[in-house]
Amino acid sequence: MKEKISALMDGELERHEAAGMLNALVQEGESREAWRTYQLIGDAMRDTQLLSAGFAARVSARLAKEPTVLAPARIASRPLVTRWQALSAAAGVAAVALVGWVAFGPQQPGVEVAQLTPPAPVLQVAPAEVAQVAPPAAAADYLLAHQGYSPRNSLQGVAPYVRMVSSDSGLRKP
Amino acid sequence: MRRAQLLFPFLPLLLSSGEALSQPAAQAPADGVALLQRIYQATDKLSYSGTFVYQQGERTETSRITRLTGPGGNVERVEVLDGMPREIIRTRDVVRCYMPDTQTVKVERRTDQRAFPGMLPEQVAELSRSYVITRGDSMRIAGHDCNLVVLMPRDDLRYGYRLWSDVASGMLLKAQTFNNKGHVVEQFTFTQLAIGSVPRDQVKLRQDTKGWRIEDAAVTPVNLALAGWSVGADLPGYRKVVEVQRKFSETRPVGQVVYSDGISALSVFIEPMTGRTETVRPGLSSLGAFHIYTREVANHVITVVGEAPAASVQRVANTVEYRSPK
Repeated sequence: MKEKISALMDGELERHEAAGMLNALVQEGESREAWRTYQLIGDAMRDTQLLSAGFAARVSARLAKEPTVLAPARIASRPLVTRWQALSAAAGVAAVALVGWVAFGPQQPGVEVAQLTPPAPVLQVAPAEVAQVAPPAAAADYLLAHQGYSPRNSLQGVAPYVRMVSSDSGLRKP
Repeated sequence: MRRAQLLFPFLPLLLSSGEALSQPAAQAPADGVALLQRIYQATDKLSYSGTFVYQQGERTETSRITRLTGPGGNVERVEVLDGMPREIIRTRDVVRCYMPDTQTVKVERRTDQRAFPGMLPEQVAELSRSYVITRGDSMRIAGHDCNLVVLMPRDDLRYGYRLWSDVASGMLLKAQTFNNKGHVVEQFTFTQLAIGSVPRDQVKLRQDTKGWRIEDAAVTPVNLALAGWSVGADLPGYRKVVEVQRKFSETRPVGQVVYSDGISALSVFIEPMTGRTETVRPGLSSLGAFHIYTREVANHVITVVGEAPAASVQRVANTVEYRSPK
């Protein structure tokens, strides 16, 4: 499955295969997660400016506000287009968000992102459209301020505070 | 006991199961919820001294912890044994962190007991709404036979927890936080623990802090909604536990709203851009079980710090809105 996703990114799939893959990617799941991760890796490798946080959500929200055109669907000449039109309204929004990614993520044939295994753990944690940044300079202050109200204190006493004062080594890394 | 009841008016609710503390191991409570309650009671009541290891990602750090309960008031002290000898001392009302590298004492004062959600007995019932609480296999840790209680999250908005507690005392010996793939993101383990009274000088500050800078957080209650802020935080299972204003590094005023589901918690920090010296880097960063998400709203920096998965932290951050108050 992951090879197929990689091939899709590189534009190497046959049309019917691509349509099938895109259909799978409409659903949240392992494939979609892998797709996001690969795109992020690709972007990182190409040093592409990442989209701002919640980009896909904003596009979806705007599309949702667009008036619905109640007209019979034109019979499309291309199978891929037919596939898109067949989607339900809800899935349609998700699909458009996905198209957004395809449109904005530059496709450079020859970049073998799928060869990059395993992906860095930190990339798996976050949804792909969010920039991974170094912790803020005042991270220790935030963590300490938070710890005062953490329920962990009543579970473990003062022990969890070491997360805050120990953080220096981890936090100071660029 | 009378004193304790004055301080914790809800204590009688706990006492029926609190007797478990003195019961022999064979009569230890059977189900996960009871085990969990026993951990809270042990943490609240016991005096102990021990060594624990904290692990997060590549980082491993050993610390010594000492807790003394009694009529002179409860005192806890942690000293990090690796690297700089950082110390934390907590009394009932104040937490002081002594940072030798910057020669700073960071002071946090409790303004309100209720602000510490973990103290409330309702918490266990609250936890059951977000987690399936079960018993796991027993294990021996640092020479103590331990029971395991597992908190399996009911959704992806929070992590899961494995908590091993001493069969004899209920004391928490090991705690793991795991993500939805089952990977451990953070772990505390005692390597040595002695339960029972400890000499008072063991909870005293070791370092000479003469001339150190004192940073008092100066926490005061606040109503951010009156200032035009709304933090929607439509995160199922999480409720708002406190809303305060504080200072960072003595100068910057910062609003803080804390949400908790009973064991996991997120803090939303709102601070004005004006007067900030550091540049703002919008985005997400990860530190073990913590995620920090930063964004800008209405010339303010919004920082959400959460002991929760990235998606939860972002979701809360993205609900923050500002409307100019009339």
